[in-house]
Amino acid sequence: MTPTPTAPDGLGTRAGKAFAAYIGGDRERLSELVDLVTPVLWNAARSQGAAAPMCEDAIQTAFLQLVDRAESIKEPAAVLGWLVVVVKREVWRLSRGSRREIGVDEVPEAPTQQLDPESHSILSERQRVLWQHIATLTPRCQELLRVIAFADRPDYAAIAESLGMPVGSIGPTRGRCLQKLRTTLGSDPGWAV
Amino acid sequence: MTSHTEAIDARDIANLGQLRDLFAHADPVPSDLAERMKFAITVHALHAEVAELMDSALLTTRGADAKVEPTPTDSVTFTAASVSLMVSASPSDQADTDARVRIDGWVTSPGAQIEAVTIEGSVSEISDANGRFVMDDLPHGPVHFVITDPDNDDVRPVITPTIQI
Repeated sequence: MTPTPTAPDGLGTRAGKAFAAYIGGDRERLSELVDLVTPVLWNAARSQGAAAPMCEDAIQTAFLQLVDRAESIKEPAAVLGWLVVVVKREVWRLSRGSRREIGVDEVPEAPTQQLDPESHSILSERQRVLWQHIATLTPRCQELLRVIAFADRPDYAAIAESLGMPVGSIGPTRGRCLQKLRTTLGSDPGWAV
Repeated sequence: MTSHTEAIDARDIANLGQLRDLFAHADPVPSDLAERMKFAITVHALHAEVAELMDSALLTTRGADAKVEPTPTDSVTFTAASVSLMVSASPSDQADTDARVRIDGWVTSPGAQIEAVTIEGSVSEISDANGRFVMDDLPHGPVHFVITDPDNDDVRPVITPTIQI
């Protein structure tokens, strides 16, 4: 289950191949696609600060739209990015009812990542240290790093773009968010192994 | 000193790995989320009617002593507006071990096509004049059934929720 950074095919490529096979008539490959991308989509949805049931609805809507529009999707290889865009948009559309200040055309920014107290209490000592460092990053960096952490290195650039980050914000170069994480962890003597 | 214009290296990948472990631990993907998504996609793609899980023998065969755990007998009934389906699972005849599962089923429509969708793919049978059918050599794990009328494409398929066999 652990993404392998050295694998020739990243998660996005494998998802793209499964989706291309599905469009080509191998209907059962859709199940493989769902298994591959669900962790990324869950974290993309949850990083927007919405409650779990709303995130599940958003992910389901994205999959159903994918099936409905399968034949018209130009680049099956880009299916992971396509799903991330729809999930993020759908979470914000669903939450708009309770957050009237969000404009229709506004590209919303993810909030600072939060853990509920119960989740915080189950973290290991080292994870608590990491959490403190994450909290020093900007909300945009927190969102980006959280989502790409569930994908593979070749996918980082496409996912960043899907989340609305500028091109070149990450991959193949480290980018400012990953650099900041590295710097803040590197400056903590308690983090060094 | 490192710079944000350098290539991502092993330390960055390790940092992201720790971050992934943190969120996977503190806010895990619901364990059945992927299966529920697949089910929703199937229902949507088939324009299907979803059958209700009516009763499981797990719930009904309670012993006289209330403290005794219900005896598991793996039999389940599903009901939709147009059709009902009962299935019971037992070890397969095909293997010496209980690694495979046999399904004995009964559906209220003779000549219906019943498709069992498992982790290995799908198997189809046509119910006999009494509505009975047998599927041998299925894998353990999640399964759902899709009931269609092979003689009439206008009838909406019926799909059952996923059960474990």
